[in-house]
Amino acid sequence: MAQRIVVDPITRIEGHLRIEAEIKDGKIAEAYSSGTMVRLIEEILRGRDPRDAWAFVGRVCGVCTTVHSLASIRSVEDALGITVPPNAELVRNLMFCAQNIQDHVIHFYHLHALDWVDVVSALKADPKKTSEIAQSISHWPKSSPGYFSDLQKRLTKFVESGQLGIFANGYWGHPAYKLPPEINLIGVAHYLEALEWQKEIAKIHTIFGGKNPHPNFLVGGMACSISLDDASGINAERLAYVQQLFKQAKEFVEQVYIPDLLAVAPYYLDWGGIGGGLGNYLVYGDLSTSAYADVKNYKFPAGAILNKDLSHIEEVDLRNDSEVQEFIDHSWYEYAGGDGVGLHPWKGETKLKYTGPKPPFDQLNVEEKYSYLKTPRWKGNAMEVGPLARVLVGYASGRPDFKEVVDSTLKKLNVPATALFSTLGRTAARGLETILTSTWALEFYDQLITNIKNGDTRMAAMEKFRPETWPAKAMGVGHTEAPRGALAHWIVIEDKKIANYQLVVPSTWNASPRDKEGKSSAYEAALKDTPVADPNKPVEILRTIHSFDPCLACAVHLYDEDGKNVSKVKVL
Amino acid sequence: MDKPDPSILILGVGNYLMGDEGVGVHLVRMMEKDPLPEGVDLLDGGTAGFQLMEYLERYPTVIMVDATLDKNPVGTIRMIEPKFSQDFPKAMSTHEIGLKDLIESLSLMGKMPKVYLFVISVADIANLHIGLSPQVKAAMDLLKNRILKLTAALQNDTVVALD
Repeated sequence: MAQRIVVDPITRIEGHLRIEAEIKDGKIAEAYSSGTMVRLIEEILRGRDPRDAWAFVGRVCGVCTTVHSLASIRSVEDALGITVPPNAELVRNLMFCAQNIQDHVIHFYHLHALDWVDVVSALKADPKKTSEIAQSISHWPKSSPGYFSDLQKRLTKFVESGQLGIFANGYWGHPAYKLPPEINLIGVAHYLEALEWQKEIAKIHTIFGGKNPHPNFLVGGMACSISLDDASGINAERLAYVQQLFKQAKEFVEQVYIPDLLAVAPYYLDWGGIGGGLGNYLVYGDLSTSAYADVKNYKFPAGAILNKDLSHIEEVDLRNDSEVQEFIDHSWYEYAGGDGVGLHPWKGETKLKYTGPKPPFDQLNVEEKYSYLKTPRWKGNAMEVGPLARVLVGYASGRPDFKEVVDSTLKKLNVPATALFSTLGRTAARGLETILTSTWALEFYDQLITNIKNGDTRMAAMEKFRPETWPAKAMGVGHTEAPRGALAHWIVIEDKKIANYQLVVPSTWNASPRDKEGKSSAYEAALKDTPVADPNKPVEILRTIHSFDPCLACAVHLYDEDGKNVSKVKVL
Repeated sequence: MDKPDPSILILGVGNYLMGDEGVGVHLVRMMEKDPLPEGVDLLDGGTAGFQLMEYLERYPTVIMVDATLDKNPVGTIRMIEPKFSQDFPKAMSTHEIGLKDLIESLSLMGKMPKVYLFVISVADIANLHIGLSPQVKAAMDLLKNRILKLTAALQNDTVVALD
């Protein structure tokens, strides 16, 4: 008989996600993903000045504020026909890369590593052996026996004080943890080092965006002034600092993140066959080497892959109203035209109608509506978005830089390309992507310096900034590739104000409920057939869900009625 | 980034888009209008988590301001001195990750600043809108005065009555 387990909320994510899973013969037979909080940012934006939208959407989430602001200004620029100067594109690309690298490192060490690394086991590690292993996998200097022994002492003291804190929500000692104590200790050491490192890369946002958190953006360009000898603006000294920070980031990726990934993966190669899910991947693309409109010059190429077919890439058109559509057949919303139809975001509606059980409840009625997330579909297909999608589309497009990182990693791990379609593949793709973004960032930097040296210091195109120059009605779409996947904002401007604004965010693609035909979205599909050894400690569910890097804050809105942060696992 | 570091940071956190939940940010915006005492900085931390590490490491003393769902009457102000993340009130800001993890990690690394946390009781964080309720708005002047009183006491090294 099937047994239903409920994990609510899933911990170590941004936002609030509930997973219900039916376990049969030690495996997940069916899974249901529910965003249990409301999102109404669209309603806040209606009637506001479109030039201000970036500042509001930037507050939706504490993790990826910059990508929302970027999608927002691009949607307005698209609507008003504004082309931004090359330097502004480059600064946006640099901020994109900084955020992409920072976010992926934080995800790997702080949100995902503890699904694989057993902190308590690290207490038993031999510091000398740990040092030998660390030195065999990387040239990273912090690797002496004394360094690890000192860390182990601090960790022991911390654990003995009863303040497990960050490490409190792990299933320590669970048989699914396979790493030797020494690699666990390396994992804990780098958990802390990554934290120290990420504060450095965040400074790039402060330099270009004027402040951090929540840096400034501008419709028409970027709100910063750059010239090599300007004492108060971004001058040669600040720019050299940016370059230094990117070099350090590249070093951290190459000497810490990737070696750790390759050291951990061999113990979990079975996860190269678990958690694959849909096999459909969607990428809007970003990081143009010329202009945002030149889709062909994107470093992250756009496209869709269906049924794991890497020999064919479909084109994606965000303006075509039969491509991206949002359905609400299992979502707590109502459309004026009723359920059963998909609305393109330009015609999108955001009217809540909660019909779920009154809390507290044991389980959701998944036959009816069961989530505050809408269900987006691309030409009717459920799609996975994120680093794996980007890496696969780049790989399938035959891009040499993608080919190189993917093929060399498959070779090192001695696994076939099909292992990419998995939980492990998703986690690895995120790391491989940072090799690319940290390399590209330095190219964008060089280009920016060349432009400035050639006398081009333009940073914004302000000809169409004033509302007098706008048409009575305008529609636009702005896209980017957020760390978690394809992100787009659709805007309708009427009488100089926002008439409609719809965000379709990565976690909506991945975490949404079933569609009207009963087809699962990415999380639900990926959980199917995942083994669960102990229903009371479903670390396997966390592994697959965390491999997507869930971020529900922008997909839904947060409300936790009793403020509890400890995940409850209920076996029904 | 380049000037000498003042010793006290007043850090307002919370989500500005969620009514009273954004009280910390509202306070920063209110205090920005007047000159600050010497040696005191102000920061709108917004919904950030890990990005705040730089600031928590740099200042030996941090006065944090946030909303709490502690079931006290709306607008109640309390000051606590948290040492571990468990000491922070429930529903500290809207984000699950970030700030609490950061605080744990800082204490593990021995870099935790002295934190004074002002929490303001709010009724709910379910409604998405911008602006404060009348009860929280009415408490803002008192909140500001208590924070300034604390900074003065800390700088003069006088004993403050904690409540």
